[in-house]
Order: sequence, then C-alpha cells, then structure tokens
Amino acid sequence: METKLQIHDTGNGYPGDQQLLRLRRASSGQSHQNYPQFNQNSDPTEEEEEGVEEVDSSGPNVELRNTPLPMAIKRAVWKSQQMQDNRASSSKSWKQKNKKSLRNLRSITREAGQFFTLWGKSLQLIGGNFGGGVQSYFLFLRFLVILNFFSCLLIAGFVLIPSIIFRSVGTSLENSTGPEECMKYDPNPPGLVLFYNYFLDLLSGTGFMEYSYLFYGYYNNTQVAEESFSYNIPLAYLFTAVFYFAFCLICLIIRMGNAARVAVATGGSAVGSYSMIIFTGWDYGCLGDQATRLKQKNIHYQLQVDLEEEALSRRAASLTACQKIVHYTLRVVTFLIALGLNAAAFYGIFEATNFSQQNSGRAGFLGLFFEYLPSIAITTANFVVPLLCDQFALIERYSPSTTVILVLLRAVFLRLLSLGVLILTLWQQITCDGNANSRDCSLCKYNNKDYPCWETRVGQEMYKLTLFDFLVNLAVLVLVEFPRRIVVDHCPNKLVQWFGRQEFAVPHNVLGLVYGQTVVWTGALFCPLLPVINTIKFVILFYCKKITLFHNCRPALKTFRSTTSTIYFLVTLVFGWGLATVVMIYSLAEIQPSMGCGPFRFFPTMWSIVPTSFYNLSAVTQDFLFFIGSQAFSIPLFVFSCVVMCYFIALAAVYGKSVALLRTQLKLEGRDKKFLVRQIEELSRQLERPNANSGAHS
Amino acid sequence: MGNKQTIFTDEQLDAYQDCTFFTRKEILRLHGRYHELAPHLVPMDYTNEPDCKVPLSLIVNMPELKENPFRNRIVESFSEGGDGNLSFNEFVDMFSVLSEMAPRELKAIYAFKIYDFNVDNFLCKEDLEKTLNRLTKEELTPEEVELVCDKTIEEADLDGDNKLSFADFENMISRAPDFLSTFHIRI
Repeated sequence: METKLQIHDTGNGYPGDQQLLRLRRASSGQSHQNYPQFNQNSDPTEEEEEGVEEVDSSGPNVELRNTPLPMAIKRAVWKSQQMQDNRASSSKSWKQKNKKSLRNLRSITREAGQFFTLWGKSLQLIGGNFGGGVQSYFLFLRFLVILNFFSCLLIAGFVLIPSIIFRSVGTSLENSTGPEECMKYDPNPPGLVLFYNYFLDLLSGTGFMEYSYLFYGYYNNTQVAEESFSYNIPLAYLFTAVFYFAFCLICLIIRMGNAARVAVATGGSAVGSYSMIIFTGWDYGCLGDQATRLKQKNIHYQLQVDLEEEALSRRAASLTACQKIVHYTLRVVTFLIALGLNAAAFYGIFEATNFSQQNSGRAGFLGLFFEYLPSIAITTANFVVPLLCDQFALIERYSPSTTVILVLLRAVFLRLLSLGVLILTLWQQITCDGNANSRDCSLCKYNNKDYPCWETRVGQEMYKLTLFDFLVNLAVLVLVEFPRRIVVDHCPNKLVQWFGRQEFAVPHNVLGLVYGQTVVWTGALFCPLLPVINTIKFVILFYCKKITLFHNCRPALKTFRSTTSTIYFLVTLVFGWGLATVVMIYSLAEIQPSMGCGPFRFFPTMWSIVPTSFYNLSAVTQDFLFFIGSQAFSIPLFVFSCVVMCYFIALAAVYGKSVALLRTQLKLEGRDKKFLVRQIEELSRQLERPNANSGAHS
Repeated sequence: MGNKQTIFTDEQLDAYQDCTFFTRKEILRLHGRYHELAPHLVPMDYTNEPDCKVPLSLIVNMPELKENPFRNRIVESFSEGGDGNLSFNEFVDMFSVLSEMAPRELKAIYAFKIYDFNVDNFLCKEDLEKTLNRLTKEELTPEEVELVCDKTIEEADLDGDNKLSFADFENMISRAPDFLSTFHIRI
C-alpha cells in the first residue's frame, strides 16, 4: 500500500487525484465504478491484480460489462470469477446455471423483439441518413398505425362481428312506435344506377356504400336475450365507442409519460445550450458522405442560430422605450391580422359546408365536387393561411426558437378549429341551430327532411375528409415532389438550383397526421369502420413518405430536437382527442338519434340505453353502482385523489430542490478536492526537502 | 447449442457474452467484420488467442466509421497504447460501448476519452476548439469558435478551473436527453 502514496508531480492532475482516491478506497472499501481508470502507462500484470482486487471488493452485483476496463482485463477477471465459482458450493453453481439460462432467455427475447418490431430496419436507416427529427415523425406514424390497428380489432370484435352474426341469423328487431314521418329512410335510390355511379359512390360514401357496415345506419338495435347468452347491440356499440376513446387516451398518456420521464430526468434542457450541441450534437450513427456533410452544416447552423439569438436578445435589451413601443405595436397588429385571416378561413369553411349540404342531391361529377367542397375548403385554408402568416415572422422578429413554436401553435389552432367549424355547421343544420321548435325540427327534434339518418351523414363527411386527405397527399407526392426533383436534377438554371430539392418538413407532416387521426376519432362513433380505413391509409402513407424521403428530399438544415419534439406531437394529439371527445359526448347525450336507422332509433338520446339496461341488472349490482355514484362515495374519493396529487406535487418539488443542492455540493466537492491535493503536494514537498537535506549532509 | 463454429471455444464466447453487450451471433458476426478488414492478418481460428492487431488505417475505413470526424480518436481511445491498432478484444469492446445497450455512465467515460485530444484527462480549451472545428468542418470564424468555447466552459465548468474535468463532463451529459441516442453506432 506504501507504493500508492507516490504522487506524480503534474500539478493539476487527475492522476494525482486518482492516487488520492485509491487511498480513500483502501480505507473505506467503497465501490468506485464511476471513476475511469486512466492507466495508460501501466504495467499489465500489476493492473490485472489491482483490477481483480477492486472489482471483487465491490461485490458480485457489479456487471462486468458495465465496467470501463480494457477487454483483456475484463476477460481475466471473468476467468478468475469462473474459477471461484467452480470451487464454490453447489447452491452457488446452481445460481450460476440460473443466471446463464436467464441470459440466454434474454438474448432470445431480444432477437425475437427485433424481428417483430414493425419497420425496425427502415426506421434505423431513416435515422442514420436524415437524423432524429425525421425519424421521430416516422416513429409517431408507426405508433398511430399500431393504435388504429388495435382499435379496429376492438371495434370488430364487439360491434362488427356480432352484428354480422345476428343479421345472418335473423334475430328479430324490436319495434316501437313513433311519428311515421321520422321513420322514413330509404338509402337505396330507385331506378337504374349508372356504372360510373359506383365510383362516385365509393368516393362519397353514398349509394351502395351508405347502407353497409361502414356507417351507423346499417346497424340494428337487436337485443338477444336467451337463457345462457345475451347480447345487446346498442349497449355494445355505445360502450365500445366510449372504451375506444378511453383506450386511446391511456395509450397516449403512457407514451407521453415515457418521453416526459426522459425530459424531466434531464432537467428540461435549455434549447441552444452550447455544451449540449458540441458534445451530444454529433450523431455517431450518421451514415454516408452526404449525410455527414449535411450534419456538419446542421451543427454549424445550430451554433449560428444560438449566437444570433444571443445577439438579438442583447439588441432587444438595448432598445429605447420608443422603439420598444413600436415593436410591440407591430406585434399586436400582426396578431390581429393573423386572427382576421383565421376568421376569414373559418367563414369560408362555414359557407362551403352550408352550400354543400344544400346541394347534396346533385348527380354526376358536379355532385361529387359539391360533396367534397368542405374538404377542399379546409385543405385550402390550411395551406394558404400559414403561408401568409409566415410572412409576418419577418416583421415580428421573435427569436428563431420562439418563431418555430409560434408557427406550430398557429397551425395546430387553425387545423383543429377548421374541423370544429365544419362540425358546428353540420350541427346547426341537423338540429336547426339547437332550436327544437323551429319548423323543420318540430316533428322529430332533428331535421328529418334533409337528414333522415343524420349520423350516417356525419359519418360520410368524416369519411370524405379522410379520403380527401389521403388523395391530396398522394397527389402532392406524384404531381409536386417527383417533378420537382426531376426538374432540379436535370435543369442547371441557377434559380432552380437555389430552389433546390425539397426538405422533409417534419412539423407540417406531423400536423397532417394529427389532423387525420382527429377526423377518425370524431367519426368513429358514426362510421365504425373508419379506424380500419385509417390503418390502411397510414400504412400506405408510411411507404409513400419513405419513398419520397429517400428519392426526393435532402436532409433539413434546421432540425427538430427529437426527444422534446415527441412530447409536442403527443400534446397536439391530445388536443385533437379532446375535440373528438367533446363531439362524442354531445352526440351521445344531447341529440335525438335518428328514428329511421341505427341501433338507437327508439331512444330519446343515445345514452338513455344505459339507464334502461341498468335496471335489468341484479339488485345487488344496482345497489353497488348506486353507492359508487352517490355523494357518500364520490366526495371522499375526490378528496383522497386531491391529497394524493398534492403529495406527488410536493415530492416533485423536493426532488427538484435536492437536484439543485446536489449540484452545488458537487461544485464544493471539486474545490475541496483541489485544496486537499494542493495540501498533500505541499506536505510531500516538505517531506522531500528534509530528506534531501539530510542526504546532502551525510 | 450445437453450433459448429470453430472460431472460438465455448468458454471464450461465454466470456465475450459476459463482458460485452453482444449475443453469440453478434460476436461471431463482429469477428467476420474484423477478419474482412485484413484477411491476411486476422486468423479465422481464435481458439489459442492469437496476438494480432489491425492497424488504424484499415479500421477507420469501415463504413460505420469512415465519415465520422472523430474516427481516429475513437479508435485510439480503445487501443491499448493509444496508437490506434486494435486487437479483436479491443475491437469488440469498442462496438460494445457504442452499442445501444451500453449504459450512460459507461458511454460518458469513453466519450470523455474521445474528446480529450491531448490525453491529459481534462477537456481544455484546445480540446474544445479541435472538437468544434471537426464538428463544423472549420466553417466558423475564429472569433465564433472562441466565443462558443468560452460559453461551453462557462456552462459546464463546476469547479472553476477553466477546463472540464470528468465530473463536469459527466454532470453535463446527465442533463442531455439525446446523448444515448447520438453516441451510438449500429453494426
């Protein structure tokens, strides 16, 4: 142990610290796996012994593969461990066999997991060539595909298959009385149907598609009640819809939790932190010459952006009061103009929907155009308004990161609200502005003249929106992106080259996905097969986007941070979910279901089937459920959950404070270490001097 | 398992499995890649632990490393004498640390070694300048380089000695959410 007191006179050195630590280690016998063993001029055999000693002293729990020792030493340690285990008692060798079989199992499951992961290889390739931001878009798309797939399994299992069985078996429908006028519903048009009408019907969901499993109107209100088996289709339909929403929300929250955990653990890293960019900016998995050069330009750009932000904030701080007033007035003006543009877009959508609903009976391709008018209006608005608002960014002069977030927020706001305006317009028409006493709605409490089966009509609108979105994506791909690449590659014109190949715009594409998923959620109650259509649509979209990415796009200069961006995507998806939930709850609870079609035709509201079936349950269950719903249970439950929430909030605050305290402690420890090292060096110098003196004398 | 491979003994494969984050199949595949680099130098039979090293110039031409601006430093950090010639042990070790299963602490240790150009166990300003120039292909002006290096040291230096020790580096890495996904080479 004496040799370990030899201290290299490096003055500022880590080797000096290391010797000091060895002293500490020898005395306290603690584990020290966090300190790298920087023995670069070491003697191998001595190090082997030390390595063996140190690893063994820290206990058998330390995994060998996690230690930062060179491989030759790790294998020597492993060999000595094996020899020790061979000499050990039978119980220990049984433990070793267990560990080995566990390891084999783990490797087999890992390989199986890699095999079954959907599109794993493609995602790796995308990440390597285009970076984490684009990869996060494709990961998000994959998540939505899996979510939709499980949703359609849910709906198929509980609603579709029982309906098919009961329809083919021919179970009797329950009849009830009601105004004769309201029960008239004839979806099949009389007379000859021209051949091209099939194509038109496919695109607009009318004709042969209207009275099919695709839409709400086809499902019957069969309630099977035999001795051993009972199935209530309306109740199943309702509960499946509610559970579908709950399932989607749970999946979203779990996924957000995973992403948020990383963000919280890293303390909400500040965007534009220089050390982050330098040390973690380079993606080691980057492949290819072109990708590397672009990555370098990307990092260069990021640093420039940060430097510019800094310069901007310094300039902003030094503005005079007059300039500040002008600046803020400009911002308020642009905000009002953006609001005005949005309002104009919403009004356009409102008018288009009204016009489309009034002229819905037209035949031929003109009729198809009128059917698709709301979709066209929404897509045009979502394209034109952000383009105009982008021009304001030059006047507003926010910092670049604020600009990106603001653009995103505006686009989300526009997309989801335009969908909301469409639904509001439909509601106005169906319920005559909510006025049950107006001329058209007085008989059946909904506008039965224009909407004999209003749920199917709403479902058709959502179906058309989904289809139109898909067709527009394909059209843009074929008509805009491929030609652009061909032009750029073959035309040496300077203007064309400056325009260049396009970049894969991640925020724009993600908003498209969020919009599509929101439409599906809104329409799922009225068009049960919409998740199936959406799954197929997203799968095709994945392959199309991958093809366009590899053939037409160049990697973006301005990137998206991949970890925090996942959270933003999921938050916007939750907004969409919220909108769809509002629509669903309102339809369930407030509007009179159509009396001519669907599983709820003889109920005052869709929800009223639940109390009706409730009274068929046994008395004990009824009492139990009453108790849970009563105030005696719910108020204590509410108070309890408030207490639990306060506890977690307090815990989070305490953790935050302790992290800050530990950081200051780290700083102090560092200073202590330097002070002690200096003391030891001084002491050793003092010890050497008397020795030298005594040597010189004698 | 009945594998008929004759490259390694079973004991060697078990040792590699315990000391790295790879499975049997991946280790054999790595040996194939290592052999491809220098077929005349690397024997196919490793059962008696041959002592051969593939030179640096051949390793940095691997497709996974070819375009990496830090390829020389990566290979040097994992070699025994710091000269960049890797034996098979060191080759496997390198890709094990850079694989996706390696924990953050282990990766931080080797990342520190990689960025420490003058091998003095500190990240001083010259190390940072070299790192920055390799990252941006020397497109920043010298004033910008100076500014960024100063800001980096200001952000990460905890003990106030104007350079980053391993503790400073590790503390900064622990706050980086992207580190695990970027410090990762797939092979």
